[in-house]
Amino acid sequence: MQGRNFADATRRSMLIAGFGLTLAVGALAPATAQQPSGPPIRIGGTLALTGPLAQTGAIHKIVGDLFVEQLNKKGGLLGRPVEWVLLDDQSKPDVTRTLYERLITVDKVDLIIGPYATASILSAMAVAQRYNKILVHSTFGIPKLATYERQFPGWPLGFEPEKGMPTAALDALNSTGKGPKSIAIVTSKFPSVQFVAAGAREVAKSRGLKEALYLEFEFGTRDFGPIAARVREADADFLFMGAIGLEGNQLLEALEKLNYKPRNHFYVYPTPGPMASSPLGDGALSNTAFENLPPLNASPSAAAFAKGFNEAAAKAGLPYTEPETQAGASWSAWEILTGAVAATKSLDDKVLTEWLKKNGADTIIGHISFNGPNNYGPDLMRIKQVQKGKWVIIWPKDIATPGYSPQAK
Amino acid sequence: MSATLLGQSILSGIFAGSLYALIGLGMSLSWRYLRVINLAHFAFVFFAAYLTYEFAGVRGVNPFVVALALVPLFFLLGVLQQVLILRFSINEFSSIIVTYGLAIVAEAVIQLIWSADFVRYENRAMHGNLALGTLLFPVADLVMAGIAIGLCFAVWAALHFTWLGKALRAGLDNPQIAASFGVPNQRLLLLVAGSAGALAAVGGFFVAVLYTLAPSQIFSWLGVVFAAVLLGGLGNPIGLVAASLLIGISEAITMAVTAPSWAPVVPFTILILLLVLWPERV
Amino acid sequence: MSISMSSQNIVPARASATRFVVPALLIAATVFFVMLPAFKPPPFFESLLYLLFFWIALATSWTILSGFTGYFSFGHGAFYGVGMYTTANLAGTLSIWWCLPIAALLAALLGVAIGAVVFRVRRLRGELFALLTLALTIVLATIILNTPIDGGPGKYLLGVQLPVIYENSATTIYLMGALVAMGSLAIARWVQYSRLGRGLFAISDDEDVAEVLGVPTYRYKLLAFAISSGIAGVAGAVQAVFVSYVTVSETFSGTIALYVILMSVIGGARHWLGPAIGATFVTLLNFTFVSGDSALAARIVIGLALILATLFLPEGVVGLFRKRRLAHVQPALEAAPAAPPVPPVTLRGAGVAVAPQLERKVILRGEGISLAFRGVQALDRVDFEIREGEILGLVGPNGSGKSTLINVMSGFYKPDGGRLLLDGENIARAPAHHIAQLGIARTFQIPRPFPRLTVLENVMVAAMFGGASMRQTMSIVKAREMLAFVGLAERAQALPSQLNLHQRKFLELARVLASDARIVMLDEVLAGLTPAEITSAIAMVRRIHGGTRTIVFVEHNMRAVIELTDRLIVLNQGRLIAEGAPREVMDDPAVVRAYLGAPDAEG
Repeated sequence: MQGRNFADATRRSMLIAGFGLTLAVGALAPATAQQPSGPPIRIGGTLALTGPLAQTGAIHKIVGDLFVEQLNKKGGLLGRPVEWVLLDDQSKPDVTRTLYERLITVDKVDLIIGPYATASILSAMAVAQRYNKILVHSTFGIPKLATYERQFPGWPLGFEPEKGMPTAALDALNSTGKGPKSIAIVTSKFPSVQFVAAGAREVAKSRGLKEALYLEFEFGTRDFGPIAARVREADADFLFMGAIGLEGNQLLEALEKLNYKPRNHFYVYPTPGPMASSPLGDGALSNTAFENLPPLNASPSAAAFAKGFNEAAAKAGLPYTEPETQAGASWSAWEILTGAVAATKSLDDKVLTEWLKKNGADTIIGHISFNGPNNYGPDLMRIKQVQKGKWVIIWPKDIATPGYSPQAK
Repeated sequence: MSATLLGQSILSGIFAGSLYALIGLGMSLSWRYLRVINLAHFAFVFFAAYLTYEFAGVRGVNPFVVALALVPLFFLLGVLQQVLILRFSINEFSSIIVTYGLAIVAEAVIQLIWSADFVRYENRAMHGNLALGTLLFPVADLVMAGIAIGLCFAVWAALHFTWLGKALRAGLDNPQIAASFGVPNQRLLLLVAGSAGALAAVGGFFVAVLYTLAPSQIFSWLGVVFAAVLLGGLGNPIGLVAASLLIGISEAITMAVTAPSWAPVVPFTILILLLVLWPERV
Repeated sequence: MSISMSSQNIVPARASATRFVVPALLIAATVFFVMLPAFKPPPFFESLLYLLFFWIALATSWTILSGFTGYFSFGHGAFYGVGMYTTANLAGTLSIWWCLPIAALLAALLGVAIGAVVFRVRRLRGELFALLTLALTIVLATIILNTPIDGGPGKYLLGVQLPVIYENSATTIYLMGALVAMGSLAIARWVQYSRLGRGLFAISDDEDVAEVLGVPTYRYKLLAFAISSGIAGVAGAVQAVFVSYVTVSETFSGTIALYVILMSVIGGARHWLGPAIGATFVTLLNFTFVSGDSALAARIVIGLALILATLFLPEGVVGLFRKRRLAHVQPALEAAPAAPPVPPVTLRGAGVAVAPQLERKVILRGEGISLAFRGVQALDRVDFEIREGEILGLVGPNGSGKSTLINVMSGFYKPDGGRLLLDGENIARAPAHHIAQLGIARTFQIPRPFPRLTVLENVMVAAMFGGASMRQTMSIVKAREMLAFVGLAERAQALPSQLNLHQRKFLELARVLASDARIVMLDEVLAGLTPAEITSAIAMVRRIHGGTRTIVFVEHNMRAVIELTDRLIVLNQGRLIAEGAPREVMDDPAVVRAYLGAPDAEG
């Protein structure tokens, strides 16, 4: 307990420091704004704009466009305009690899920024490593695989999310005094969620919860009826689902057909919109890096980001226009990269790497430091819950959305 | 494991299988009678599903009106596609490419209109479920399964007991003889193509009712529907229903009794054994 | 003379020019691609070329099984996946140079194991084979997902040591890709023009006929499957190093199989170079339109390009060239003056005095041959002899079992009981191709030429695989001779569909002749011919006989039977009811009863 309090305290102080710096930068920016000039600084990257990952790829594109636009309005980088050279990797890691090689060796971009999704980021990382390029990336799910020393995560989920995530979820539930006694763990065999579910198993065991069910299903499963029937039969206090994308909604819909509602339920990476807007999502827990909620959106830059994202997402026709983990981590990746350039006044990969390792970066998510294994510093993930049809942050308490606290049944 | 769990799982397998049959029916017909392996069928299904979402979900039109409007529209689309295919006398294998090309275009157009993000049509008309003992029957699935199986039997009856159906089957065996008996082959083929399109519309309507949609999910049923269509026998709606239910139920039972991630092994192993040991019946 | 020269140039076995030019070009291309990194192109081009090589290898390997042999596989991802996971699991402990052959071997073994079971089932062709391969892929993927081969988290190829040949190890992957692609092209070309390829194309067109002509179909299909899956395995083994992170959903996604088919069909699936052309087209198309601002427009362009390519090139790009070539040659042939009359070919042993009936040696003896189909006794303990050099008439009303007996003698059906002795060896259970190689050949009542092979190629297959067992070069000469013999020399480059029925029947005759068969079984060669054609056909049969060749003549036309045959056997309802000299047999009361009693008897 002592350790956790300490961790919370450091996290809190870092967060405040981060906000302070962001505020300061935000306040300074308008004063120094001037028309950027000279040849543009070209930052290259790919995204899954088509193919199976396109729905999330679209979010990253909106964020990148928005960031570059705001950056150029504020005077660009080192007095030069910034140009984002974006290619479509079609959700395929082998195409990603080839396109990063093109960006570095043919287009000769000044810097690169990560693509979307774990497999593609790994592909890009291998290319970056071959050319000693610094690679800041957004949502990479398996920290243990990120062994390249010049890669920096914009998504601070800690080196061991498989421990951090279930621990935080259980802490949140226990804080209500109605902590669960039994747990049902159901997971997709998708690499970046499967190991989290396996970790949840360990955490639950060490905390003395009774494991009522542990199921693995194939990623891409369409018929959740039998799984739902087993979840209903297990009837655990807490359903922890290694879900990516829509799987959480699919299980909830199948459960509803059996007149069953899980009492407490957590989803690792659910698509936020459908979960919040579905009446079945009530009480659903998940984790997040950023939400457009106080205190996270308090800084001007965060507020500007959230407002800009709302507008751009609506314009792009996205059904859910609120920024959350994907958008937040994407934005923070841009902040990390451009922040380092601004601070060092350099485009040199080595200089940028050293500076980031030493100083970390201030982002809308908070102050991210890269001092742990594989450049993963402290875990800045928060637990959110669907309450009254929208996501609110409920844990840890210092970042909880004012007026909200964890709800358990 | 309780009897309820098993019963409920089998039910869920029946519903899953019914949807395979519903999506597969149009495929099976066009494969058998038009010699077109129509990958665009899946795109048609999703296009119809998105239109259902748009009109019944977003614009609040009565879903039954939407369904009634979709059927003739997709009949027309099916006919148009077939005109293209006939015009260029495309063979069976090339039809895979042409229809895959169409599916790519359709996917892009859907993404252009409705974005790549998930959309959900919250249907109120077919909500809730009926209880029978300890078993629960979701209304939407029940309606879908009824219509799917009903359509399969109707198509089977049409093929065997109507003049057009008999002409169609005769035309397949021997186009020259059929033509000499005054069977207008071209028009019959267009009729089949249109019906396949109309069936895609019905399938799409229920996909919208039952599932959350994303453009990239167009081919998520490809493998299993292919298997059902072929196992059931091309152009054989009753066989299709049997094969679809076999796949759906065996998959569901596997999920109920063992690790769900093993689910695909059972139906596809059964299928392989059937093919190897009992090929004349397939 | 000019005719034969011009047609010589398009002899499928390749004229000497192309025989050396293409391999030289392939070697030059390989050398070029291997040397290329020395000129330090931007690494992106290496990567792009690598992907191109990867798809070329995969599409080419698919074509060897599915394009050449006609067994349409929808599960090519399985073999590629075996290769991927071989490297993913072994590269940590073994050198990559070991992983590649192991991957090829495992994939080929899987292919052979599947084929060994599946190819025994006659009906598993076409769509059902496609379904089977699809199902196998899904089963394999599920097994890998749920066992330590992967288990779910994917395999990250961390710290795989690649030998550095140029400056960095990424170039090594490119080099491996180049060698695999060029190697698979060389293999595909070799297969296409080898004996194996001839057999495969015949199988693709009509497997039963191929088997009856002597093609060892089962073994050839297994071989094609092994080659095809082996190449896919190697391609996958290299690809695993390239992507460095191997997951089940990426590896076994249906799009792999779909892409491979697209590429092969666009390029042309019946030519070794077709899939490479298709792979280049599709890959470059994919990489031309990658701009992030117009991703969707690019997808639409790609979709439309696929549609247009297929609409305007229904036979693939290669088909376009072929059509041109045929169009170029065909008019020359048609316009040429009638060929000089072909001197009658001297057959082996022709002119030797004919031995009297009873002294002739029995070469094929049937003892108690029985065969029932679903309870109907098609053949009921039939005993018969075929004597060397005779023309034996086999007659009987419709449904009496004549065709069934031919099918048994040619090995197409296996009898339920009885023995079939050829020179004392029982061939009743021998595979059809083995019987063909022993020198028994047959024609089909309704001609069954290989529709997509030229007339010349049709005859070559018989010469290469039948009793003659000729080398390919010899078979061309033989085939031309036989075509001249039956009067089809000018039609050598035509497709069977361009022949009339009479000519197609003569094509069947040319095929049995080219196989140098000792026993020729002619199944109703006269049916459907005009009286004038019948006269010429009867003359042809006489010439085929040449006084020495043994002929079994199944016919309804009694005039022809009595005119031609030395001896008759009569079947009725599966039983042998009479045997002897033609005139005597026809007067046999049992025979008369059988014919008059059978309502639909003809002639």
